Order: sequence, then C-alpha cells, then structure tokens
Amino acid sequence: MSNAKKLNILKLNYRLALMLIIIGINFNSVSAQNLTIKQKDSAFLINSKKERVEKIKKSLAKTFINFTDNDISLYGSLDLSKQIINDNSITAPLNYIYNSINSNTYQGGYSGGFRIDGIYKEKHFYTLSFALNRITVGNYYKNKHTLSPFFEEFTHFKADNAFTTLSIAAHYKKLLPFNSLDKYKFYIILGPSFNYKISRISNENLINGAGNRSIINGDFGAEFDNKGYYILFAHYKLGVNMTSSTVPVQLNRFEIGMSIKAKDLF
Amino acid sequence: MKTIYTLLIVAITFTLVACNKETATTQTDVMNSMLTNKNWYLDYSITGTSTKSYVGQSTYFVTYLKDGTTKDSDGLTGTYSVELIGNQSQIHVQLKTASGNPLEVIYNIISVGETKLVLSKVVTTGTATQLYFTNK
Repeated sequence: MSNAKKLNILKLNYRLALMLIIIGINFNSVSAQNLTIKQKDSAFLINSKKERVEKIKKSLAKTFINFTDNDISLYGSLDLSKQIINDNSITAPLNYIYNSINSNTYQGGYSGGFRIDGIYKEKHFYTLSFALNRITVGNYYKNKHTLSPFFEEFTHFKADNAFTTLSIAAHYKKLLPFNSLDKYKFYIILGPSFNYKISRISNENLINGAGNRSIINGDFGAEFDNKGYYILFAHYKLGVNMTSSTVPVQLNRFEIGMSIKAKDLF
Repeated sequence: MKTIYTLLIVAITFTLVACNKETATTQTDVMNSMLTNKNWYLDYSITGTSTKSYVGQSTYFVTYLKDGTTKDSDGLTGTYSVELIGNQSQIHVQLKTASGNPLEVIYNIISVGETKLVLSKVVTTGTATQLYFTNK
C-alpha cells in the first residue's frame, strides 16, 4: 500500500473518531437540555426540599440552642448479661428441669451504635446514644417448683437466652475534678435507657402473656476521655419489663466499650 | 429523601410484621412439641393413697406421634389431640377396642416437659389415677 493511501485511511479514521465524539457530546447536551416537565419540577422540588431541610436545621438549632458542642461518635462494646426470672404467675402445666436451664452466670454479648456527646447550657455534659445490641444472657430462676411425691425442682418457664434489641439512652455526665483535665477527663454517668427486642420471641416465651419486648433500664458508670481522641466507658444497666408481664424479668448488664468521633474516622 | 422515607417505612413495617404474639394455639403447640415422638415410660401410678412403682421394670409405655396418631406397648392404636378446655390442658385419645368399638379416653395434663410427663385420667366415677412418665 502506498504512503498516500495510508495517509488517506488515517485521515478517514480521525474524521470518524471526531464525528463519534461530536455525536456523543451532542447526544449528552440534547438529553441534558430536553428535560421533561416532570424532571424540571423534580429538579425544582429537590431545591425546595434542600431549603426545607435547611429550615428544619435552623429551627432545631433555635429549639436546641442550649445544646452545644455536639460531637457524633461511633461506638462498640462488649456486654456481660444476666436476667433474674420470676415465673410464679405461669399457669400452663409446663416443666423444665431446673438444673438444666438455670445458669446463674453472666454471658457475653456485643453492641454497636452511635452517640452524641454535648453540653447543655454550657455546663451540663450529656450523651444520647442509639445502638443495636446482641444480648446473650445467663438465666437465674427465682422459683423451684415441686410436684410431690416424685417430681422436684422444675420451673414453669424457660426464658430465651439470646435476643437482639434496639436501644436508646440519655445519660447525664458529671466531670470529675482530677488533675490534668486539659489532657484526660473522667466522668461518672447516670441516666435511663430503653431496649426494644426486635428478634423473634419463642413460643415458650409467649405463653400466658409472658412475652414482653420493652425493657427500661437505669444506667450508671464511668467514662474516660483521652484528649478527645476516644472515650473508654464502663456502664452497668439494671433493666425491668416496661409493661406488666406474668413473668417479671430483671436484666442486669455490664457494658465495656470505646467510642471514636465520627469526624476522626471519616 | 424519598428513598430514605421508603426504607424507613419498610423497616418499620418489617419490624411490626416480624412481631410475634401469643395466639389461641401457642400453649397447645408448645405442649405438642414436648409430647411428640418420644416413648413415655410409666414410672409411677397413684390412685388415692395407693402408689405403684414401675421403675426399673419392663413396663408400659405410650408414644404420641407428630402425625396425630398414638400407640402403646399393649398394642392399642388410635389418634390423639392436645386441647385446652377452659384453663385445663387435656389429651383426648380416640381408641378402638378389641371388638372394634370406638373409645375416648381423656387425660388432664398435670405437667409436661421434655423428659417428664404427669397425667391424670379423667373418670366419671371413683378416684382419678395420676400417672408419672419419663422418656429415659
């Protein structure tokens, strides 16, 4: 093939490539310009929504004007849990051998979530936290039943020993007056929390109206803030059924964990 | 934003639908699960003040199968159902006698578990007999 022919083919290729690029650009610009009325409306609505969100933010800022210095942190924790069970009101004729289901010990679980640490009226420290908890519990049964003369030591109820909850907590934090407060801070915390079981409750746990998903806790504990880099915490939570149940349960939990500011992570 | 709302509604709906509650059959379902597919060996029977022990002996046993049939060591077969009459849990057994006549026997469930079963035979006259079974 002669050099002239090669040159012509090359030129043709360049032209074709240029044409394709121009068509592509035109296609994009046409599709961007030819918005339907609905698309134009939704584009307008997006801005409207943004404005609305901004308005809500401003309104919230006005409402919560006294809640300042809010920091969002992610946290994870390990838990030890035990529940104390009173099955006296169960009337169903069921028996569970006491020694086979009673484990008066704490069992391990875990939690993860986020928390907002802030200051109220520039002097009261607080934490709001939201978490997903996988709770595994040791069950202590308060009552041993007997069916004389041959059958001793059984319970009428067998509690679930693993469940998942969503929780929300509001804690008041009191800064302890230790040295080096500019570096390390120690707090004691106190406040309520609420757990809602989202996992399936077994049929055994539903009998005679025993099923109860809501647990209200009283929390207290200590926290150590290392220069704002992270917080180590240890909490104790004492929980009871929020609504009346034929099987009142007292849930005891120890929680040890760490939180790190979200802005340091992302 | 719309997507977030939709996801939130789906999550709440899922959570609410996932909630399970006690129904009319919850108790009988649990008792059935404890009762079925085991050989229940008679250990003791008590009628009034008379107590008989069968522990360690080749003795009577009864089996309640998941398909609703029952058979015992005497060769009697039939069907059964666990029922809750008022607050009393009962086993209703439909048998056929050697002569082929239908016979219903009712037991009050005094206690039922994974390994222990205590029944009381319902009688119209005389003293009821309490039967203590184990499945081991």
